[in-house]
Amino acid sequence: MFENLFVGIANGLRSLLGGLPLEINEAIVMLVKLVAILVFILVNALWLVYMERKVAAFVQARIGPNRVGPKGLLQTTADIGKLICKEIIIHKDTDKLVFMLAPMLVFVPTLMVFAVIPFGKNMAAIDMNIGLLYLLAIGSLSTLIFWMAGWASNNKYSLLGGMRSVAQMVSYELPMVLAILGVIMITGSLKMSDIIAAQEHTWFIFSQPIAFLIFFIASVSECNRAPFDLIEAESELVNGFNTEYSGMAFAMFYLAEYANMLVSCAMVTILFLGGWYAPFGLDFIPSWLWFFIKMYVMMFIIMQLRWTYPRIRVDQLMGFGWKVLVPLSLANIFVTGIGMYIYRAIGW
Amino acid sequence: MFGKGLVKGLEITWKEFWSPKTVIQYPEAQNPIPERFHGRFVLDTDKCIVCGMCANACPNKVISLKKQKVGTKQFLTNYVMNIQYCMFCGLCVETCPKDALHFSKVINMNQYFYNNIPLVLVQREAPAEQVEQEKPAAKPTPQLKADALAPTAESEVAASKASDKEGE
Repeated sequence: MFENLFVGIANGLRSLLGGLPLEINEAIVMLVKLVAILVFILVNALWLVYMERKVAAFVQARIGPNRVGPKGLLQTTADIGKLICKEIIIHKDTDKLVFMLAPMLVFVPTLMVFAVIPFGKNMAAIDMNIGLLYLLAIGSLSTLIFWMAGWASNNKYSLLGGMRSVAQMVSYELPMVLAILGVIMITGSLKMSDIIAAQEHTWFIFSQPIAFLIFFIASVSECNRAPFDLIEAESELVNGFNTEYSGMAFAMFYLAEYANMLVSCAMVTILFLGGWYAPFGLDFIPSWLWFFIKMYVMMFIIMQLRWTYPRIRVDQLMGFGWKVLVPLSLANIFVTGIGMYIYRAIGW
Repeated sequence: MFGKGLVKGLEITWKEFWSPKTVIQYPEAQNPIPERFHGRFVLDTDKCIVCGMCANACPNKVISLKKQKVGTKQFLTNYVMNIQYCMFCGLCVETCPKDALHFSKVINMNQYFYNNIPLVLVQREAPAEQVEQEKPAAKPTPQLKADALAPTAESEVAASKASDKEGE
């Protein structure tokens, strides 16, 4: 019954608008889909901030937020309310246009990326045939926005944070893409639904474990999460690129961090955890819920990583990226290629 | 092995995640207060002989007391502690020869207004002297005590209530 809940809603909407010309009909349906995605991202970002604080508290034998609303569930809402009320301080030496543009644009790549993510069976807003390429291309745009924020602040710490963000993201984008290459070689497609369909029997985490590890580490780094949070680095850089931001502008960066985490976890789920396929034949749970569960398991692991490991040094970060992850991912491609050749030769 | 420490770290935090939480949520729950805790002062006015040794012992000149002579006895009319200067060293409690001054376990002494901070332990009128004079000299004490006790207790309670109101 719940299996086709959202697909059913979309079809119902289409038939409801049946009288309209086809183009307008499709445009309205697409608009509804995008609004739904936007709501999904924002609600999840709110929840994730709360979850992060709870996980942090639980790991440290504390209770965490529990005053605002039942079990403290409205804590983030109250925080956002406070931040909206606060003044956005713009320093006189900042590049005002770029300075204000950065928090406005920070959600754009994330929102664009979500258009191709299949949340369940037939539940991608747009199932592009170059979905993965689109995702990687748009996803790496967020570097530019962090750089804009760091540069326009006219502040040494922000500039350092922005420079670190560019260096880190460029050097971790490489192993990330190379790790995905192994998956793409096996499926032979960049289409999200094809990649998931190839994992119906075996998830790629089992056939490509090295690629999974590399991809996971690189995507944690891409999200600027600890232990790779050199960009924010409260203790050395005073929060890096968003030092000068206050009020809602700061909140946008803060929420965007969690939205980016959402994208990363969704990508790990699609590429390595079998997307919306139910494991062990547990079909009674709808596909979109499976996708969601897998995504949140990854999210929990990322949060636990943050509260377990200390931050690494800049040179360690670069050394690990270039000297370990890149060669390892290249070796993985090589081994995958040989394996595929042998499989083909055997005739499986 | 390479990466063993990372897994170990995750194991520790995973265990901590499910372990019982040590936080005590103060207004609802409270840590047990030890027996000899230095909390809010309590003065047993019946025992107090108004010797003023507590005021002398205080290193910060916190205690100020006023007395009045009623018959042959000193009568305590005013006992105020400027608690904002008090460091709860306990010298006053130690020096009290009659064991009249005590610490209680009350820790919540915060006030909203500055004027309410001084801790008024006694504020009362001295009983009229005639009562004392009319009495035969043989047994003045019990009657005096009974007379003095009633207003004492009332005013003491009233004074402490007035100063407590904001803190609650």
